[in-house]
Amino acid sequence: MINIVKHSIRFFAFIFVQAFIFNQLEIGLGIQIMVFPLFIFLLPIELNIFALMVVSFVFGISIDYFSNTYGLFASSALLIAYLRPFLFKFLEPRDGFLPGAELSIYQMGYGWFSTAFVLILLINNFWFFLIEQFKWKEVWYIFLKTLLSTPLSLGASILIQMAFFKNTSNK
Amino acid sequence: MRNLIAFLKRFRIFIVFAILQGVALSSYFTNLSFPRSQYLTTASSLSGKMMEINNDVTKHFNLAYNNRKLQYENIQLRRKLAQSNIKIDNGVIKINDTIFQQQYDYIPTTVLNSTVHKRNNYFTLNAGKSSGIYRGMGVISNNGVVGIIHTSSEHFSIVKTVLTENINIDVMVEKTGVYGLLKWSGKSPKIGTVSSISNDLSLKKWSEIVTRGGSGIFPKGIPVGKIKSIKTVEGKPLWDVEIYFSEKYAKLQNVYVIKNLLIKEQKEIEETIPNENE
Repeated sequence: MINIVKHSIRFFAFIFVQAFIFNQLEIGLGIQIMVFPLFIFLLPIELNIFALMVVSFVFGISIDYFSNTYGLFASSALLIAYLRPFLFKFLEPRDGFLPGAELSIYQMGYGWFSTAFVLILLINNFWFFLIEQFKWKEVWYIFLKTLLSTPLSLGASILIQMAFFKNTSNK
Repeated sequence: MRNLIAFLKRFRIFIVFAILQGVALSSYFTNLSFPRSQYLTTASSLSGKMMEINNDVTKHFNLAYNNRKLQYENIQLRRKLAQSNIKIDNGVIKINDTIFQQQYDYIPTTVLNSTVHKRNNYFTLNAGKSSGIYRGMGVISNNGVVGIIHTSSEHFSIVKTVLTENINIDVMVEKTGVYGLLKWSGKSPKIGTVSSISNDLSLKKWSEIVTRGGSGIFPKGIPVGKIKSIKTVEGKPLWDVEIYFSEKYAKLQNVYVIKNLLIKEQKEIEETIPNENE
């Protein structure tokens, strides 16, 4: 129950942060800071894949609603939701995930979190800029944007967790 | 049998994924060219209200710059006032003007939300149908052309700016009248391109580019930019022209929507052109 409330609050908080703060920041060189994958990444591991996809889709559409992108965020959010189980299976620790674990920096450590989240970000950013640009002629520019946006997005996502999430690992 | 069920199970996930992905992508690509609805955009009322609140905070960021710009424009207009001018030629009797009829009307609006680094950039304006703004009208600032209205709701509207891939505004070189189509490469919000200029026409660097006014969306002679570089397109008899925009789109706040009072008449008479293909 507490989990549902927690994730619902995060749902709205991440929409707000992505649409009104990070989408308004324009650093140049086509860099766009993506923090919305963090919400999808931190949803419970046990969550059914269908529920995960529907939640992500609604989540993405909500960001689109506030930033005139007509479904671009929904498409990327849906893609990472679809690929998340494959990725987690691939990166699963030897003993498996703890039941009810949240894959934040506190529970999984900086190393594991960064590896997994960078993979998610690379997929997400590449898909996002590919759909946005949609020209094979500009494919190098798409790669450049993807590579430049990923470290900044990772940094922002780690900072968000350090600032707003409770450290529950030593409980 | 068990394998088949497992296979179907996996396939079912993919089907749901594909359907939702199809919805998202078709919504994105159809709205790029033709907006079907205003519900998914910042022209809808809830989203528009949020943008207004957002703008209330951020509008002060560039206040000094925008005030200077408006002041400059006021000076220019003041110069044109009768009281600033001396009558030089006393021999001419001025009669009530019947030669000129007003063709373009301007609706002042404010930009609520803007982006400049996406591949296709849209601005949200704080006026809509209730102020007489409809799809297809031109938008300018006092420094140059901004874009064309893409969608409008009761109190908000969305501009497809010149910072989109296929804005295709007809522009010309001010001095010589050589004309082409305005496009944007997506690299920098300061630089645009003009395509389909035949390469047997001579162009000069730094010559002014203005709107041509052919489609009746913009008046003739609204500034667009200056020519930055001229290159040849490989394999085509065309110039690839890059221009510096005259407006700084990242700081833009006050814009005017252009209402062409005679557009209906122009459209009607142009429809009478016989179509050779039929």
